[in-house]
Amino acid sequence: MSQFWKAWQKRKDTLQEKALHHHTDRSMENISDIELSLVIDENIMMIEKGLGDCDDLVIRRFRDKRDTDCAIVFLDGMVDRNIISEFIITYMTNPQIPVDLPASNELESTDGLRQVIRNVLSGTAVLMRNGESKAYLNNTRGWDRRSVDEPQTESVVRGPRDGFCETLCVNSALIRFRLKDPNLRVRHMVIGQRTQTDIYVMYIEGIAHPPMVQEVLARMEKINVDSILESGYIEQLIQDRRWSPFPQIQNTERPDKVVANLLEGKVGILVDGTPFALIAPAVFSQFYQSPEDYYERFYIATLLRFIRIISISIALLLPSLYIAFSAFHPEMIPSRLVIAMAAGRSTVPFPSLVEALFMELAIEILREASVRLPGPIGPTIGIVGALVVGEAAVSAGLVSPVMVIIVAVTTIGSFASPSYSAAIAIRMLRFPVMLLAGMFGLYGIMLFLIVILIHLSSLKSFGVPYMSPLSPLNLRGMKDLFIRAPHHLLRTRPTMFHVHDEIRMREDEKP
Amino acid sequence: MSSQQQTFSLWQQTSLITSTLIGVGVLTLPRTTSAILYEAGWMSPLFGSIVAFVSVWMIAKLSQHFPGMTFIEYSTIVWGAKKNSRMGKWLSLPWIILYLGFMYLSTAIVSRIFGEVVVTSVLLDTPLEVIIITMFLLAFILSLHDLEVVARINELLLPMILFPLLFIAFASFQKAEWNNLLPLFRASGSSLIKGAYEAIYSFSGYEIMLIFFAYAHENQSKVRAGFYGIAMGMFVYTLIVVAGIVVFGYEELQRVAWPTLELVKTTQVPGLILERLESAFLAVWVTAVFTTVANAYYAVVYGLRQLFNRGLGFQRLISAIMFIPLYYIALWPQNIVEMFRASSYLGIYSLILNLGIPALYLTMLFFRGVGRKQKERNADG
Repeated sequence: MSQFWKAWQKRKDTLQEKALHHHTDRSMENISDIELSLVIDENIMMIEKGLGDCDDLVIRRFRDKRDTDCAIVFLDGMVDRNIISEFIITYMTNPQIPVDLPASNELESTDGLRQVIRNVLSGTAVLMRNGESKAYLNNTRGWDRRSVDEPQTESVVRGPRDGFCETLCVNSALIRFRLKDPNLRVRHMVIGQRTQTDIYVMYIEGIAHPPMVQEVLARMEKINVDSILESGYIEQLIQDRRWSPFPQIQNTERPDKVVANLLEGKVGILVDGTPFALIAPAVFSQFYQSPEDYYERFYIATLLRFIRIISISIALLLPSLYIAFSAFHPEMIPSRLVIAMAAGRSTVPFPSLVEALFMELAIEILREASVRLPGPIGPTIGIVGALVVGEAAVSAGLVSPVMVIIVAVTTIGSFASPSYSAAIAIRMLRFPVMLLAGMFGLYGIMLFLIVILIHLSSLKSFGVPYMSPLSPLNLRGMKDLFIRAPHHLLRTRPTMFHVHDEIRMREDEKP
Repeated sequence: MSSQQQTFSLWQQTSLITSTLIGVGVLTLPRTTSAILYEAGWMSPLFGSIVAFVSVWMIAKLSQHFPGMTFIEYSTIVWGAKKNSRMGKWLSLPWIILYLGFMYLSTAIVSRIFGEVVVTSVLLDTPLEVIIITMFLLAFILSLHDLEVVARINELLLPMILFPLLFIAFASFQKAEWNNLLPLFRASGSSLIKGAYEAIYSFSGYEIMLIFFAYAHENQSKVRAGFYGIAMGMFVYTLIVVAGIVVFGYEELQRVAWPTLELVKTTQVPGLILERLESAFLAVWVTAVFTTVANAYYAVVYGLRQLFNRGLGFQRLISAIMFIPLYYIALWPQNIVEMFRASSYLGIYSLILNLGIPALYLTMLFFRGVGRKQKERNADG
């Protein structure tokens, strides 16, 4: 038995090792890593060969004052043409190419072909001269970008209105702009063999727990995928438990949320090409906490948190409670209501489980359809779907009126969670709990909740238990869990992320 | 990074004890205690808890001698010679088997009693077997996880166990007839002992700490955790028995099978949001039974894992296998009378076990002086 065990372990280890060392630059492999030659034509030919039939590759050839053949190579659309023209003009007047040429914002030289091609692909203009085995890389990146806009998925009543956009440097500037701390560390990474996506990992040195930062960086380095099109790729590849329905890394469009989390000792990950930043580690409170909680006064913030918790519970449990009550425990419903409910259900031919599943399915279809529909039609479909179909279904005797109310409240409840991806988990889990309620009534619901709680307490996000500070219990963290204590009581950072500098506010002087 | 969470805090130990000992016992406690002590039935949990206190104190002391070691691990040291650890292993085996066997049996019986309650009062058409199997499934799912998950789930569920009980107890005071408690001190000494004995089985469950105390965060917190845990259980039990007696009176209590459930039926929610509560109470009660069953089952499986010196994979495998005999044991009693008889046998078993094993081990330690050496070694390292 144990022999078998060891053999199995060994095999697992070797497989893992293989996967680790199989880290090759697949798409760049085709390009031979050779030095540039002295002849410019040869170099241009090599670049053209390396990029294949690329009609957006612009090669502008010219002669400078000293009658040397020169060429500027760049990809159309990726560069700011003004900078290039300016560069050429300055170069023509003074062809010395000092590395500190003022017109160009960044000038580097390189002599490897692979390096040149990689830079051309990321929007650099490359200057080459005949008789020199060097290429000058001029950072002229400039493509059309969306301007900083209000975040679509996380709107607040009070709070900053700017959200991330698709450009990495703008996003990191949005964070820098709010956090002028010299201890903010930004690590640059390139992930994705084909997409070569730029990624920034941000943390505050002196607050964030160094092993945790190391863990995040190590996991990101292990990623060996050809493309990163959105931060979701990274989220799914570095999370602790890949089969869990719960998001173990938070995502957000709001720079203020990222800054607040960096200040709690977490790590932010910005990905080029998406407005969604990642925050690791995440705990369960992301389901109902919003940045607005800290901007409003604490009474209303606490009340809103309770309302969100209630609405999340409604979104998860209300349909299954309806099933359990009407099919198993009608004695629990007040007698007048039970008569009214029975009258409503008298024409419905299906058991309440089928009725509820049917309606929940309908509302999910409606929801999905209204996301896909072009802007102006969306609300129309909502009205048609909710009012007309719902009303007609009731009068046709397909569903009971109570069911329509329940489905509506459930759907509204699921929108109250400030985090969309957290609400998705709740939305999905609604269906198994409905099935269990249809089988065992309230007992089934409890079985399900216990299984979920077991799962939640086994979850960890980068070493932080998912249910903390509730379990393991941390009384200091409780001040900012269900209630949001006033700021003068939140003088220390939550300790569950193993922060190093705990003090948030030193002295509290009354005004 | 994960190493810092493998220890249990004081609160986690306390909640492990309290949530394990509050189980099905509380459903019958008002009847069994008032059958002997009549109107003074509420004294029996108070006196019964003394035994539990003594026992848990011994368990904690025993564990303090061997910090970081479970009962399974230190048994070989207690019984074995220094050089011949194999002898210690064999000599300790009967005690370990007795201990694990008890918890295994009590897992079966507790889930059987719970299944019986659910089937007779809420889910009338559901077969008993289904309830038992689902309860075992929950225990099985827990035993797939690491040790720290057990501590955390208990911590999370403890409020869900305590609140409904406290709510029921206090809400039923609306209908209380306080004269039912009088005369206050009529019970004789012998009947007090008998009554305390009745309550002891409902306190059993803390013996899981023979294993779980090993992972206490601080060595000194074990005794305190044990005392807090038992004290909370004692408070809840006393409150429930008092509520049962003041609402029904001891004569009526003898005629109901599940007095606490009847208590729930008499309570009304203000505002009439829900008309009857017993289904809701039983649903919430699942958590209390789950923590009892699953903790004991986890202790058994974890004990076996340590006995064979294997990893988590073995634990998962063994917990899947141990399932099947457990199911048959749970269905062994043919009817509710046999079931109660089996449960009272288990009560005697638990009394002997919980007092006997720690006492035996402590005397062994005293005579052999093993513990002292062990402590010195720990101080050095």
